[in-house]
Amino acid sequence: MRVPLSWLREYVDFELGVERLVELFTLHSQEIDGVYRLGVTAGEVVVGEVVEFGPHPNADRLSVAKVDLGGREVQIVAGAPNPYPGARVPVVLPGSVMADGTKLKKAKLRGLESYGMMMSERELGISADHGGILLLDETHEPGRPVADYFPVGETVIDIDVTPNRPDLWGMIGVARELAAILRTEFRVPEIPYEAGGEPTGAFGLRVEAEDLCPRYDLRRVSGLAPGLEAPLWMRRRIHAAGMRPINAVVDATNYVMLETGQPIHAFDAAKVHGGIVARRGRPNEKITLLDGTTRTLDGEMLVIADEERGLVIAGVMGAEDAEVSAGTTDALIEVANFAGDNILRTSQRLGLRTDASGRFERGLDPNMADLAMGRVVGLLARNPGGDVAPDTLSHYPEPVQPWRVPLRLPRAELLLGMPVGAEEAASRLGALGCEVEADGQELAATVPTFRRDLRREVDLVEEVGRLIGLDQVPEELPGVPQPGGLTPDQQRRRLLRRLLADLGLSEAITYTFGPRRWTDDLNAQGGAGAVRIKNPLSAENGNLRASILPGLLDAAARNKTFGLRGGAIFEVGRVFAPDPPSRALQGAALKFRMTGSVDALGPDAEPNKDSLMGVREEESVGVVLAGTIRPAGWNAPPVRAGFFEAKGLVERLVPGATFAPDAPSFLHPGRSAVVRVGEVKAGWVGELHPETAEKFGLDGWPVAAFELDPGVCRPDVEPRFEPFVSVPAIARDLAVVVERAVPVGEMAASVQGIGGLLAEVRVFDVYEGDQVPEGHKSVALGFVFQGERTLTDEEVDAEMARITAHLDERFAGRVRS
Amino acid sequence: MAVNGRIEELKNAALSAVRGAESTAALEDARVRYLGRSAELTEIKKSIGTLSPDERKEVGRSANLASREIEGALEAKTAQLSAGEREERLRAEAVDVTLPGVPHPRGNLHPSQRIIDEVVDFFVGLGYGVAEGPEAETDYYNFTALGIPPGHPARTMQDTFFLDDGLVLRTHTSPVQVRTMLSQPPPVYVVCPGRTYRRDSDPTHTPMFHQIEGLAVDRGLTLGHLKGTLAAMARHVFGDDVTVRLRPSYFQFTEPSVELDVSCFRCGGSDPNCKVCKGAGWLEMLGAGMVDPGVLEEAGVDPEEYTGFAFGMGPDRMAMAKYGIPDLRLFFEGDLRFLRQF
Repeated sequence: MRVPLSWLREYVDFELGVERLVELFTLHSQEIDGVYRLGVTAGEVVVGEVVEFGPHPNADRLSVAKVDLGGREVQIVAGAPNPYPGARVPVVLPGSVMADGTKLKKAKLRGLESYGMMMSERELGISADHGGILLLDETHEPGRPVADYFPVGETVIDIDVTPNRPDLWGMIGVARELAAILRTEFRVPEIPYEAGGEPTGAFGLRVEAEDLCPRYDLRRVSGLAPGLEAPLWMRRRIHAAGMRPINAVVDATNYVMLETGQPIHAFDAAKVHGGIVARRGRPNEKITLLDGTTRTLDGEMLVIADEERGLVIAGVMGAEDAEVSAGTTDALIEVANFAGDNILRTSQRLGLRTDASGRFERGLDPNMADLAMGRVVGLLARNPGGDVAPDTLSHYPEPVQPWRVPLRLPRAELLLGMPVGAEEAASRLGALGCEVEADGQELAATVPTFRRDLRREVDLVEEVGRLIGLDQVPEELPGVPQPGGLTPDQQRRRLLRRLLADLGLSEAITYTFGPRRWTDDLNAQGGAGAVRIKNPLSAENGNLRASILPGLLDAAARNKTFGLRGGAIFEVGRVFAPDPPSRALQGAALKFRMTGSVDALGPDAEPNKDSLMGVREEESVGVVLAGTIRPAGWNAPPVRAGFFEAKGLVERLVPGATFAPDAPSFLHPGRSAVVRVGEVKAGWVGELHPETAEKFGLDGWPVAAFELDPGVCRPDVEPRFEPFVSVPAIARDLAVVVERAVPVGEMAASVQGIGGLLAEVRVFDVYEGDQVPEGHKSVALGFVFQGERTLTDEEVDAEMARITAHLDERFAGRVRS
Repeated sequence: MAVNGRIEELKNAALSAVRGAESTAALEDARVRYLGRSAELTEIKKSIGTLSPDERKEVGRSANLASREIEGALEAKTAQLSAGEREERLRAEAVDVTLPGVPHPRGNLHPSQRIIDEVVDFFVGLGYGVAEGPEAETDYYNFTALGIPPGHPARTMQDTFFLDDGLVLRTHTSPVQVRTMLSQPPPVYVVCPGRTYRRDSDPTHTPMFHQIEGLAVDRGLTLGHLKGTLAAMARHVFGDDVTVRLRPSYFQFTEPSVELDVSCFRCGGSDPNCKVCKGAGWLEMLGAGMVDPGVLEEAGVDPEEYTGFAFGMGPDRMAMAKYGIPDLRLFFEGDLRFLRQF
């Protein structure tokens, strides 16, 4: 809501700088979106009378005028050609400052002195018209300040009105609010008129769709002088409030809308056949609107029609047919109240939002119609001049009455956490238009119908609190009667993220929705289907992710195009899979989703709510290592992404995990593994299949990745003390030649299992080549033996013999000498 | 006596050899030569038994004195030489200390997650629990249970992503609060961090973003408790010097509703050209309010017995303010040039 301050002052007196005004509104009422200035913000604008006007000797497009400023004649160079000797014009004097901040100086234009400037309507902030110099009528006396007639500068504050306060969509509401903040009075000057024109009753009024139209008032103004525009003061205000002046009749309706918040429509009575009918749209009914579009109505849309055709989509926009125009001499003024939710639906259905629909959809006060009608017909009687009908046709079968809301002061003090005096509360509510009765600590407010948001005690508490001032609320901490903490799962995810970051990886957060290729390109999951967004921002991004991998791969590819040499990123977040309820449960699922309630399936069976959600949502942790993950140092080679770099991280996160081939097909078939914890599948790890890398634009980079269920990760392990002996351990090494296909991990694990004095097995080399037979490899194992007392060579030799025999038996391993 | 003279000669020769030795190896040679098993002095000592008792006494004494003197000299010289040699060795072992050490590269936590962790830690310290809920949420929990039934104008304010019938991507983390209230009786003290979604994409809005909402329901909770709690939270995240102010606002599920501004942690309002607050002196931080009695009732809580407060903040925007990040869109691109700064 754009509020020109000079207009606001018509209703309420205030001596405040604009900054303070903005602060007060911000702290007690509504946010201010901006402050705008129009016209001349400082300096002097006086009425001048043009004495001479002719072409500039040195410029084709310029003119030069001699202007009398009330006994003083000055020369002014002008760009516009419309002044003439005898014309009265506004002249801004040198030294004045314009709204855009420029300061006017005495200037020489093409060799001629120019003292000040003659001004257009736009330069004065009256309208957007910059077609010529504003010509003032004879009542404007040369030499007098123009400000004696109308303001030459304007400050406009733009209030960001919250949806619960449609009353602040009008100047009167804003004035009431400001007066309540300042604890002062406000007034609404009357617009007197005499009735006596043609009767409204010559037309009929029939409201057929009563449910969509709680009130409809119609009044006729006849004998209008055609072809006039609204008076300058009115156009000026309409312009400053952000609307466009159109003609005398339309401007009067808009002006009163800006005053009261109540949209008003004017019909050309000569074009209305028989009378006004408020009815639902008919099947396939079409209407061509003012904006030139033709719309098809449906049976839930409210139409204001005459006996023959639709004239207006109620509360949204009128048709060209019966609109008032410059030639209108007889008008029917509509002030109506429509059901807000229906207007919202209609405007959404049509994709057409207008100033009026925006107001109606929030729910207006039907009682505002009386004030608005009185003011608009009064203004029309004055300009363009017309005769107000003695009668108003009104359909208002169920008048809305003010309602009583009790307010217990102890309750207010509890909610606000500060003392609230009975007198203060009563006077604050009174300033908002409530009638308040007090009985000790109990108040009762009769709420005016324009404050439909004040229904309950708590609504009044808010009003009292904000008007007293939220700065008065103390800062206190409640005593929380419970220990806080993260759940074990949350704690684990937290540690997991910290650990991965400590290990040198960077945490990313990527979109949980993405393109279809995310699932298609990870061909293993291609057929499983993804959860679809019905209305994605672009058709491209309509799938919820089933894996964290594709988002991270896209990120890696972006980093590659940025020229990075590689990196390691991880993300912890949700992945989604469709989980449609069985056919039998589909009705129950929809009901649960819309109402939260669950039907019993039988005497003692209720469906599990999770099974009605339709989406299975799980936490996941994904890691992508791509390119060079650690650059070469002066004493260390670079680390590039590879299977074992990824596997090492998995081993750190999931102690005791086992790895076996048979990973998803988007991975390198020979360099990937399924990760298991015990018998439970926990995820996968591997290098990307070259085809996958290519699809994601990562060809040329080695890429290794893994994705795990965070639930199986053990970033920290609950420690448990194991006794140890302090006699020295004995270490021995052994190189064994086995066939290339023998899994070394199994060898090590198998040896570990033989028990005895063996405390530790470590693989420290795997070698193929010279001195190792074709198709074989040499595996170097290190052993540590530990006894209760110092071991003898003979004891250790015996253990080594056991190990050698075991390796021979299980893996056909031959000790290499 | 001839033997004694020889002992004297040997001693002098030994001492001069020790003095002249230039390395611990040369010293060892001298020791072997003059005190070793087959050294002449050793031979003399061995032959003492063949001498007369008188000679025996005298030769024995002077041989022992000579040995001791040589040993003393050897010891002193050894100490002197080995100290020098160690120094020499240390000099040779010197490295260029300006070369970098073995790298243990630091990784990074996402800026939004840093804020979420800080805020969550603060509330956990106060005694709050942390609740989570589905991102693919039902229409009921996301809207209706919060006082926004179908057809309500507030639904149009929240551009929603729709999934299957009756399912949406949650537009806020408020449904987690509803689920929490339905699942446990008061007192409730909980914060709900998570991802949220709105169908909105422009330079200042991303279709996915984070929220942290909080809910406290107990006997006797007031707007003052809300203000004090959030002021302490703001100081935890932005520093001890910041102050807060409340402004009236409107939210569907709180009444009274407020917005909380935090004084600019960079300039405190003193710099009209401040990059953080743009000269306003205040940063809009979060929306909050006393839980609407209708919402309490919907969750089966008697609003006459219990009151509560709720708040919601945007950790992404808080991170932008705290770390000076100019563009929200950087957050979700996985760009390492961005991520590595945190």
